[in-house]
Amino acid sequence: MVRQIAKNPLSLAGVTIIAIFIIVAIFAPLIAPTPAGQMNPYMIPRDGYYAEPQSPNAEHIFGTTQGQYDIFYGVIWGCRSAFRVALVVMGITILVGIVLGSLAGYFGGVLDEVIMRITDIFLAFPWLILAMAITAVLGQSLRSVMIALVIVWWPAYARLIRGDILQLREEDYVEAARGLGASSLRVIVRHVLPNSIYPMLIMASLDIGAVVLSAAALSFLGLGAPEGYADWGQMTEFARNWIVGPPGEPFKYWYAVFVPGVFILFFVLGWNLLGDAFRDIFDPRLARR
Amino acid sequence: MKDLIRIRDLTVRFYTYEGVVYAIDDLDLDIRQGETLGIVGETGSGKTMTALAILRLIPYPGKIESGSIVLLGRDHQSGLELLKLKDDRMRSIRGNKISMVFQEPGAALNPVYTIGDQISEVFLLHRRQGLGREAKQRVDGLLSNGSGPAAAVKRPFWRWQSRLYSKIAEGPNPLEPRILSHIPLFRRLLWRLRDEARLRTIDMLKDVEIPDPDRVAGRYPHELSGGMKQRAVIAMALACSPELLIADEPTTSLDVTIQAQMLELFRRIKVDKGASVLFITHNLGVAAEVCDRVGVMYAGRLCEVAGVEEMFLHPLHPYTKALLDAVPMPGKELQTIPGMAADALNPPPGCRFHPRCPSAMPMCQQERPKPKEISKDHIVACYLY
Amino acid sequence: MWSGWQSVLHDQVESVAGASLDIASDGRKVKRPPPASGGLLTFSKGLWYKGGALGLRAYIVRRVLLLIPVLVGVTLFIFGITMLFSPLERATLYVTNIRQLDNLPAVIEKYGLDRPFVIQYGTWLGQVLRGNLGWSQVISMRVGEALIRSIPATLELAIFAVPIIILTGIFFGTRAAAHKDKPFDHATRVVAIMGWSLPSFWLGLILLMIFYGYFRGLLPPGRLSITAGILVDSAGFIRYTHLNTIDAILNLNGTVLLDALRHLILPVATISVINVAFIMRLMRSSMLESLGKGYILTARAKGLAERVVVNKHARRNALIPVITVSGYLFAGLASGAVITESIFSFQGIGWFAWQAAVRLDIASVLGFALFSAFLFVIINLIVDILYTRVDPRVRLGQGVQ
Repeated sequence: MVRQIAKNPLSLAGVTIIAIFIIVAIFAPLIAPTPAGQMNPYMIPRDGYYAEPQSPNAEHIFGTTQGQYDIFYGVIWGCRSAFRVALVVMGITILVGIVLGSLAGYFGGVLDEVIMRITDIFLAFPWLILAMAITAVLGQSLRSVMIALVIVWWPAYARLIRGDILQLREEDYVEAARGLGASSLRVIVRHVLPNSIYPMLIMASLDIGAVVLSAAALSFLGLGAPEGYADWGQMTEFARNWIVGPPGEPFKYWYAVFVPGVFILFFVLGWNLLGDAFRDIFDPRLARR
Repeated sequence: MKDLIRIRDLTVRFYTYEGVVYAIDDLDLDIRQGETLGIVGETGSGKTMTALAILRLIPYPGKIESGSIVLLGRDHQSGLELLKLKDDRMRSIRGNKISMVFQEPGAALNPVYTIGDQISEVFLLHRRQGLGREAKQRVDGLLSNGSGPAAAVKRPFWRWQSRLYSKIAEGPNPLEPRILSHIPLFRRLLWRLRDEARLRTIDMLKDVEIPDPDRVAGRYPHELSGGMKQRAVIAMALACSPELLIADEPTTSLDVTIQAQMLELFRRIKVDKGASVLFITHNLGVAAEVCDRVGVMYAGRLCEVAGVEEMFLHPLHPYTKALLDAVPMPGKELQTIPGMAADALNPPPGCRFHPRCPSAMPMCQQERPKPKEISKDHIVACYLY
Repeated sequence: MWSGWQSVLHDQVESVAGASLDIASDGRKVKRPPPASGGLLTFSKGLWYKGGALGLRAYIVRRVLLLIPVLVGVTLFIFGITMLFSPLERATLYVTNIRQLDNLPAVIEKYGLDRPFVIQYGTWLGQVLRGNLGWSQVISMRVGEALIRSIPATLELAIFAVPIIILTGIFFGTRAAAHKDKPFDHATRVVAIMGWSLPSFWLGLILLMIFYGYFRGLLPPGRLSITAGILVDSAGFIRYTHLNTIDAILNLNGTVLLDALRHLILPVATISVINVAFIMRLMRSSMLESLGKGYILTARAKGLAERVVVNKHARRNALIPVITVSGYLFAGLASGAVITESIFSFQGIGWFAWQAAVRLDIASVLGFALFSAFLFVIINLIVDILYTRVDPRVRLGQGVQ
């Protein structure tokens, strides 16, 4: 599998990009050290309170955005918060999806119906509006965003697992296992789930990009990370007021808009490339089944 | 009997990722007018490729490397070299002079168009002038017989249509109708062509013994059974009275009972239409039922060709004998052919069959045996003769 | 988000087709889930397949019946959220005019906001069905009214964006499939993945930076410039549809039309870029799958020109999944293109929902959520029904044998 990833130039690019982000995230404290005395490293240090963004200079490599928040610090630690959001949301979503999807798929009947109707209900909402409603009710913070995203995303995974299980349930080795007296839980965990991992992997790797995009969007809309938090979406929101510079210098504050966005773009791009590659690799297996 | 198709030195190679495959290797074959020639062989022997080569439909990554396929017959007394034809001329041969029936009728039919539409398509493509003539006749009939105020109003339209259709009847690809067909609303003016085509389609469906052809024509492929679908495909192939009908394992995917009906249909076709049939199959029994002559192919080469009785009573090539022996018979122990089918990428040198041949001689490994006519109409490529 | 669509697409198509339909999009090849169970509402084969009209009618009935529990669930969900608040806070959900705000206890009394859950739900549902989504103190108007005012803008966006997305996506997807593995194909793939990875809000900002900042107000945000706004509000301009472009045409007013179009270009472009990438890849893989099928060989063997084979035979089949997805796309856009609307201050449903969320206008947010869900579900239903028109295999249920 590793060889296959290496062969395809696009997937190689994807893996490289993600690797770079991982490294940056891990070494964030070294790359962009938190100023002494600051408690929460995720809050971007401010160099004053002046509103107008400053251009990149020696002290602020990427310049500062509205309120003199250092852009460089923000985007570096933003890698960390992006991964945090992605892993937490994906992790919980997959967990909830597996549990509910397995219950629905394996036991069928009324339980299946009920769970499916519940997923229908959640899927009936356009995702962003649902997420906005939830963050409005829960209060605006990164935690609400994560909860909102889990709520928006789990139905798709539950459905996917359910579908897999419905098919695998009929396979001979499952019957054999049951015939030998294995309990339902054991059958699900040991026999059915391992075989349904692959499509889920694909979907998950493609969705990590979407999760981060959505979280950034929510923060951009002012519903997520608090002001001054090291979050790419939040930083883009700052830049919102500065997209047009004074007459004669229309691109004066380009860095405030460009930099956080570019980080989002490449992060999502990397995961999309990887997901594409996964799909190409695991495709024959999917088709065979 | 006169020849219809002469294939000489045909070589088709496939350039795959793993290497070059000789799908057809220096093949010589004649198809005579009015005969049903069977080609028998294992999967991978090159039978389907031969059929596709005749129509020049070899898919990528295959390529017709060399050879000649000449079409003779009523319109081409001096022979038409098919492999050298330009694309548009070749297209006028496909579906028209030479047509093909495939193995899986379900796959061969487009699920989003009705049966009638798909068959009419052939008429609209190849018999446009004839359709134009018939349409013009119909309109002229309206012009002369029509009476009353309704007719008076429509008269100018009819006159225009009559002119239009006579243009179609004359030319290949006349200008005015062609322009009209591109303007969405005016396209409907050519509806009479479609009507005529539909009439012919229904006649065609009757010919292949499909019950209630009118309703069936309006149905979609998924609404028909396998046997009906195959009949429809045959109707599509026979629409323009081709000189050669190529049937690639037409009965393999059908029930045995339907198979019998299908073979009966093929026998009738031979008698009624007088077309030659190239019948490809791996089932010797089917070949015995339907064919006049039979050819046996192995690994892209022709082993033996003979009249059907001659072939089954006096098989000469060891492979043919082995095939016949392998047919399961009650009371007889099941015979198999030892060894594996020739590896397409690294075929055995010399005669392809020699590793599995009970009568192999040292000479068989060195050079490929040339086909020799042993008795009347019985050709074998083997060093035993 | 997309994965959600995919699984929704699957299950709804499944319940229609009863057969496995694989949406092979290059971004998402989702496995074939078995049909979504219709449970008690699974009609026997007989009812399905009396042919033509009855089959379709039965299908529509079945789908609508399946829809009702979902809609009920949606209302329950929203209502459940409202119950997280105190009766006093909830009172505004029942207010219909501003004077009632002075006497909230009377409202509580009138609608029984201290009664048991079920009764309250009933009352609330009754009000909702009557169109009363409550009063928003933040915007000082009835939520329902705010909704209705903001629909036209979003509709206008959707009407312009969706055809562009579909046509462009189909065109490039078909060409990429026809030139598989050649430079055009690779270029499309790269462009598609990049477009797909773009944050829409960032794209919008960059576009504004260029076309509004650098080009000095060439393509400004908002729906209309001030002058055009005055024209539109004037007596001589009749509002037929509240869609600026259509009204401008109907009023034969070129200035307003041009102005409205100028303001539409950037939002439509922003929405389009990202969605075109998706449709393009979907069309490509759909075309490739179609071109590999047996009927293509038959078409060639009939003597049809390659162009006809591709356009008439291959494309018609390849379009089927694309059309369905486009339908869902329209549904998604119509129910709220929040980000784009917020960036360009395009005052549609999404914009209002955003404003409400930011200003903690719970009544509005919940009202919009409810409305959006209903709209989304109904448009999806219409798309599913249209799908039966598009794919003959699905029209009558199971086939004749």
